[in-house]
Amino acid sequence: MRRFQYLIPRTLDEAVSIVESYGERAKYIAGGTDLLVKIKEGKLRPDYLVSLKRIPGLDDVKWQGSTQSETRIGALVTHRKLELSPVTRWHYPIIHDAVSNIGSVQIRNVATIGGNLVNAVPSADGAIPLVALDARVRIHGPKGEREMELLHFFLGPGQTVLERGEVLTEIIIPPRNSRSGGAYIKFGRREAMELPIVGVGVVVELEAEGDVCARAAIALGVAAPTPMRAFQAEKFLEGKEINEKTLDEAGRIAAEESKVRDSVRGAAWYRRELVRVLVKRMGLKALERAKKAEG
Amino acid sequence: MARRISFLLNGELVEMEVEDHWTLLHLLREELGLTGTKEGCGSGECGACTVLVDGMAVNSCLFLAADVDGKEVLTIEGLAAPDGTLHPLQRAFIENGAIQCGFCTPGMILSAKALLDENPNPTEEEIRHALAGNLCRCTGYLQIFRAVADAARRISQEPIEVFPRRTD
Amino acid sequence: MEELCVVGKPIPKLDAVDKATGRALYIHDIRIPGMLYGKILYSKYPHARIAHIDVSKAKKLPGVRAVLTAEDIPPFKFGFYKDNTPLKGGKVRSYRDEVAAVAAIDPDIAQEALDLIQVHYEALPAVFDPEEAMKEGAPLVHEENRSNILKLPWKMHFGDVEEARRKAKYVVEDRLRVTWVTHCCMATSGCIAMFDASKNLTVYSNTQIPSLAQRDYLEALEAMGLKGKRVRIIKACIGGAFGSKLDTYPYEYIAILLAHATGKPVRIVFDRKEEFVATSGRQPAIIDISQGCDENGRLLFRDVRMILDNGAYTSWGATTPSVMMMPISSLYRVPNVRYEAICVYTNNTYSQAMRGYGNPQATFAIESSMDRLAQEMGMDRVEFRLLNANGPGEVTSQGFRITTCGLKECIEEVRRRLDWGGPKEKGEGVGIACLIHVGGGARVYKSDGCGTIMKMDDFGKVDVFTGATDMGQGADTVIAQVVAEELGVRIEDVKVIHTDTDVCPWDVGAHASRTTFVACNSALGAARKIKERLLELASRQMGEPPEMLSIKDGEVFCKDDPEKRLEIGKILRKAHFSQGGQMLMADFFYDPANENLDKSFRGNLSMTYTFGAHGVRVKVDEETGKVKVLKYVAAHDVGRAINPLLLEGQVYGGALMGIGYALTEQLILEKGEVMNPNFRDYKILTAKDAVPIETYIVETMDKDGPFGAKGIGEPGCVPTAPAIANAIWDAVGVRLRELPMTPERVLAAIKEKRANSG
Repeated sequence: MRRFQYLIPRTLDEAVSIVESYGERAKYIAGGTDLLVKIKEGKLRPDYLVSLKRIPGLDDVKWQGSTQSETRIGALVTHRKLELSPVTRWHYPIIHDAVSNIGSVQIRNVATIGGNLVNAVPSADGAIPLVALDARVRIHGPKGEREMELLHFFLGPGQTVLERGEVLTEIIIPPRNSRSGGAYIKFGRREAMELPIVGVGVVVELEAEGDVCARAAIALGVAAPTPMRAFQAEKFLEGKEINEKTLDEAGRIAAEESKVRDSVRGAAWYRRELVRVLVKRMGLKALERAKKAEG
Repeated sequence: MARRISFLLNGELVEMEVEDHWTLLHLLREELGLTGTKEGCGSGECGACTVLVDGMAVNSCLFLAADVDGKEVLTIEGLAAPDGTLHPLQRAFIENGAIQCGFCTPGMILSAKALLDENPNPTEEEIRHALAGNLCRCTGYLQIFRAVADAARRISQEPIEVFPRRTD
Repeated sequence: MEELCVVGKPIPKLDAVDKATGRALYIHDIRIPGMLYGKILYSKYPHARIAHIDVSKAKKLPGVRAVLTAEDIPPFKFGFYKDNTPLKGGKVRSYRDEVAAVAAIDPDIAQEALDLIQVHYEALPAVFDPEEAMKEGAPLVHEENRSNILKLPWKMHFGDVEEARRKAKYVVEDRLRVTWVTHCCMATSGCIAMFDASKNLTVYSNTQIPSLAQRDYLEALEAMGLKGKRVRIIKACIGGAFGSKLDTYPYEYIAILLAHATGKPVRIVFDRKEEFVATSGRQPAIIDISQGCDENGRLLFRDVRMILDNGAYTSWGATTPSVMMMPISSLYRVPNVRYEAICVYTNNTYSQAMRGYGNPQATFAIESSMDRLAQEMGMDRVEFRLLNANGPGEVTSQGFRITTCGLKECIEEVRRRLDWGGPKEKGEGVGIACLIHVGGGARVYKSDGCGTIMKMDDFGKVDVFTGATDMGQGADTVIAQVVAEELGVRIEDVKVIHTDTDVCPWDVGAHASRTTFVACNSALGAARKIKERLLELASRQMGEPPEMLSIKDGEVFCKDDPEKRLEIGKILRKAHFSQGGQMLMADFFYDPANENLDKSFRGNLSMTYTFGAHGVRVKVDEETGKVKVLKYVAAHDVGRAINPLLLEGQVYGGALMGIGYALTEQLILEKGEVMNPNFRDYKILTAKDAVPIETYIVETMDKDGPFGAKGIGEPGCVPTAPAIANAIWDAVGVRLRELPMTPERVLAAIKEKRANSG
């Protein structure tokens, strides 16, 4: 591997000032599983790698007791920690669906949710459930702190709004009502070590009684250059009873909304088909979970 | 750039200088001569380079050597007892036909160890999930699953052996 | 049945302990003092003239010891068609062409040096489709030829296919396609080449063909002006082969040339991308097949034509037709068969041997077609196969003399276990496909032999020096088992050495699933000689005639009076340490009594044949096209299972490789470039995809096999694709004719069917 200097700051401000001063020649490194591959392949040639791993306060899951309160996930939380956390298992199963199948145990032990978002690969299994949960992200940089919607964090394949020196520090999941549930599926040719052909995440919030949809979120991965929401399909479901028929239609609308492309992993027509079918299936699963939700 | 690190390797304290750009895999194989850990792909997709760091399975090809400072590393060479007694996982792999060409074996055994340390009585589903990142082209995996289940049984039936570890 | 002590037992592989403790040494682990690291620069174009190569900057880089291009090496052509060179000069014909090579004191410097080499190319029009490449006016890949079609003799015709076609009541025709897949050995390719002071060559190698590789290297040495020098091949532990090490690659010659240029040992080891791009996988094919039967369902003819994409250079892929003839002529009883295969140069990658060597490709076509024919005449697909199944004692239209044959039993067992004809849920289906493969060697070369040298030391311990190769499949262990059984010693007392051509005798190579049959028969031949002499010595010392003596657990004892016994070591020490002392050594060269095929490709290729049937139950998700395997049964006639544990491993591993071939694996080439040279996008099956395979072993006790055994290394991956294709048809009524049967292709077929049926 090409030589670089590895710096391990102990505070966020220290990290930011290092990257600011070295400019293009420095890159932040969290888990490193994406970054080191790119360096090995010659796609990136940094002279300095600035570790975020020893900065305290970035790897907590702050759960306040229910999904009706805000939940905060530190950017340096590993996928494995999220996979094993009771918070995701019981209260945000849509996140658990996704993180438990990213790469392998070996990758998940090291790769962080923040790193996943910052790499902004179109397949981002980490991003889709969070986008469906209307997550926001907190960013710390030379000019201070800012917050924004995760959906707008991505500008294109491999590109985010982060400016030089900025660090993603936290993911914030807003509260939702007690009758909500979500589900995510990554569809690929094999059952593990897959980058998805498409990824679909659906979150539904039901009215106080019955199966009527108060709000729905449908997030799609690999259906556009960046993670997207199928807003028209969501609007269609609002106020309607969630069942196979309405989900079928929602899937159809979502498929129309998507901007799928042909690629080595799958043809556009097939991706569109998958969106249609998987929105329906994940919608049904989300409904089931919403009815069972403990809040 | 070099830095001094110290870490426990297979139970023994190691203090040495490492270059910033070295991976843990390079450190083990090229600097320390421990060639039991293999390189299968170099990009975290095959698991042949799996070692345990603080009990967690990681792909050493994507783990910076500098990051083992202050940690415990276990490689395949450290699994058997100092007197050569094989670990139940090693015995189970050998006796269940789970080893053919053997190249995936060190990584596979260590992933299995991480699983059994955390979950002493895994279901087949859990075994598959834990080993999903260790590719094998020879065995078709079935005898490997048997070996892991067999090892779980052996470990639960045998008195817990804590192989003596030297710490200074 | 006789009571056996060691044969038939599930003995763990003899080198498993070394592998489980990290002691086993693969090429990647071997370090030799002064060793340099070699790296290869590959072409940037699929087809281009090399106008100029500038290596000056690379040569000047500190740490670089040699830079070679085609100009620096003697002209030397190798390969089955003698159309390949270690380094390409003049022009490049594919992306994997080796253009230059560097040796340096460490791999990073070698890589840096590669980046400093400047090559000026003039692009030429390229051709990537074999049917296009066959046409007049297509760009010529090798300009010295007048056409891209190779001059190869792959044509056979037994009986009269046209007449049979006229007589047939039912006829089906299909075109099927199979594409490139690759071995994906977990260890990448590599070797270390070094010369001694007298310019004799030693190569640490992964080869499956040590004796033939030795000859290949000798030819290279001759071209280098080193005629008469010796070649020694030492095998490191092989991290998977599956046929990938059956031919000698350009990189091996390059390592030798670099070692010669630098006077130092040179190691070349591939990274994973190189492994995908620059090694040779399974031969793709476009297959046209038609078959016909009479009104009772008896097969009358089989007519197959294939176009094979030969890529830019020729390796064993171009000879797969010689093996494809086997299932075409002899899978099921077919009186009239015709086959023609055309190999065409293109600017794609080229293929060589891969587990099954053409049999999986041909069987995909044959067994898909058999299903179609059964449907055409309205006969149950299992009944149709039973009706036409081969039986013991038959001679096929190609002249194969079938001795033992458990095919019917395999089919019946599959039918039973799949609950064939039983209830099915929506989207579920069952399929079956059978196989024939050589089981008693295969005379594809002038010799099919294997030599063994055996010695027994003063303590009764046995060393077996065999020409055979263990590449993880267990050759070392089964050889030890048959020797231990024959000699009556414990298996712990038998050591099998197969790793050094200076010591081990000749063997044609680990291919055609021949190792158990040929190497064990060879070892048995030597063991019988040792046993005879041992009993003679014992007889003299014990005062009993040899026929009254028996050996067990390392002791010779009298059959009538078992208390009268002597430990082998005592017998041998006495024989050794006396006047006119003797030691115990024997050798045996076993060359099976099979035949080279004659000019019309007729002959008994193998001494015996293995048969089998795979059955599968699938569930097809009709909305996504995903195919889930619910149940998989692999029934095999193996003669005898010398080691059931290792045999199972071969069936599981072969079947999963075959399931990958059927459903997920594809080396994607676009305009000659490999688009998925990594494990992320080349989908070999993971632990989560593993299918529980039920094995069923039929022991037909072949009289020519060692203790009755036949081969099993390849059969496990031969019928998998058609079994699954046939099950998909049963599930959702669509016939897939192209591999892999990805969810996308399955869904496309389902949609097309719906559209057509209105």
